[in-house]
Amino acid sequence: MEFVSSVEPSGCVFDAVDLKKEFDDGRVRALRGVSFKIAAGEFVSIIGTSGSGKSTLLKMLGAIDKATSGSLLYKGAPIAELPDPAEYRAREIGFIFQAFHLLPNFTAIENVQFPMFETDRPARERRDRAAELLDSVGLHDRRDHFPDTLSGGERQRVAIARSIANQPEVLLADEPTGNLDSKNAESIMDLINTIQAERKMTVVLVTHDMTVASYAPRALRMEDGMITSDGKFALDE
Amino acid sequence: MTFLTIVIRGLVRRPVRTILTMLGIAIGIASVVMLVGVAWGFEKGWSDGFKAHETDIVVGNMSGGVMPKSFNESVEQRIATLPHVADTTSLIAELMGVENLSMIMVSGREWGGFAWNSLKILDGRLPHDDSEYAVVLGHLAAGSLDKKVGDPLQIEATEFTVVGIVDGGAVVENGTIFVALSRLQEATANEGLINFINVQLKPGTSDSEAGELMAQIEKEFPEGKAMPANEVLGSSQGIQAVRAMSWSTSLLAVTIGVLGVMNTMLMSVFERTREIGVLLALGWRRGRIMRMILLESAFLGLLGGVTGVLLGVGGLQLLQFVPGIEGLLDPHISASLIGSSIGIALVVGVFSGIYPAWRSSRLSPDLALQG
Repeated sequence: MEFVSSVEPSGCVFDAVDLKKEFDDGRVRALRGVSFKIAAGEFVSIIGTSGSGKSTLLKMLGAIDKATSGSLLYKGAPIAELPDPAEYRAREIGFIFQAFHLLPNFTAIENVQFPMFETDRPARERRDRAAELLDSVGLHDRRDHFPDTLSGGERQRVAIARSIANQPEVLLADEPTGNLDSKNAESIMDLINTIQAERKMTVVLVTHDMTVASYAPRALRMEDGMITSDGKFALDE
Repeated sequence: MTFLTIVIRGLVRRPVRTILTMLGIAIGIASVVMLVGVAWGFEKGWSDGFKAHETDIVVGNMSGGVMPKSFNESVEQRIATLPHVADTTSLIAELMGVENLSMIMVSGREWGGFAWNSLKILDGRLPHDDSEYAVVLGHLAAGSLDKKVGDPLQIEATEFTVVGIVDGGAVVENGTIFVALSRLQEATANEGLINFINVQLKPGTSDSEAGELMAQIEKEFPEGKAMPANEVLGSSQGIQAVRAMSWSTSLLAVTIGVLGVMNTMLMSVFERTREIGVLLALGWRRGRIMRMILLESAFLGLLGGVTGVLLGVGGLQLLQFVPGIEGLLDPHISASLIGSSIGIALVVGVFSGIYPAWRSSRLSPDLALQG
């Protein structure tokens, strides 16, 4: 599978049309016809309360879940029909999780190397790349520390370094500051902002926190499985 | 960090569990090494024994137990005249209870036959002739029976005198009581009966000629079987049963090992469902996850195999110092036994890992996004 051009001719990285997702034979409707486009290099937040469908949508963008109906394209190709979703997640997508999800028995520099195992990089190159990424997120001195000796903010920085290890075009962040205090949350959002700007990455950030959402120039607000607003985010909304 | 680092780190995250599981396999493999090593050693001891008295072909009826069935001694005369035969000698070899020992090898050998030639006298002498009620003892048998030259020894209802202590050149021979054939036939009421004929071939006899001779012997003596000396014990139904028992006991131990490893690997997968979900979300293919679990399991097997071989070899060494069997065991630890034991452990590891690996591959990257 190859996504040859960086963007589809229309300029869209993601193009969703009437996405629906039902569970329990239709008794639960997580998405009720969601349509949107996300352009290359865009920073978009998806905001909504618990159960609004934002996490379901994020899973679909990451080829982890499939819609019941509707279409979701990545650079013009239907994500649901990808022959190798793992390849897509390894090469095109970087994930940042709320609970960091670092592997506890591996040091920071080892954790950053995990996504690179699905590439052809030799071991030394993987290590050098991981070291460079940790330097770039300000963790030069913490490379050889295990996760349980790092603070929450440091762990999320390691996770961010890990998410961009394979230079993906898209960063999907699921409540990236949900387990952090406000000071660390601000620092992490600044880092995501910097990475997005420097690398011109497409970032889709799911959050229920308005302050966090305000970092993205565009916000999709979701309620009951539908997008209720799509536009520039204003903190006083 | 290499893929192997990840595999090894997966094992050391729960060191006590890993060591206990590895010991479970190791005990199974140690039992394989000990049981099979002793059985092979016993067979090799017999083969060495025949080699010691320069026997090329052995004729016997091996359809009975460990020892062959007895047959008429006149068969020897018919075999002695066949082509390529240089010499023949008749024997009775029986496992019997003698005095304080519930089982010891007693060998009645045709007086003047070449089977006596290999016995090196350590003390005393050989019998003067076959009319003398005299026995010589292999030095291990002398130790087990606590006899010295001049002591009386009772076989069945007949009293013999120990006239010599010998080195027979093989463990089986050294653990044997030697007596003239006619005296043993008399003592055991088996007049005219023997259960082995040892054949020496003429120098220069080829393998194909030896094969033809064995076929001819079986024509002359249809109820018997002629076989090269080193294959005698292997053809015994009794020994085949002992082999089957040692392998099936080993199989049981190995099966317990399989269950232990499978349980450990399943627990390991269950404990790591979230981590596996994260790896899948990071783009790891299901095949790589399966390889990781299978390799961890194979490593457990390999470590257990190596430890088991060390335990087995150590156990056999210790067994040889146990009073009562001291010196009687000559276990045969060959490279093939070590190799096959470690191979079995490796197969145990891989086999035990298949189901946990399959389970791990069914997990979803969705787990990474749950909480």
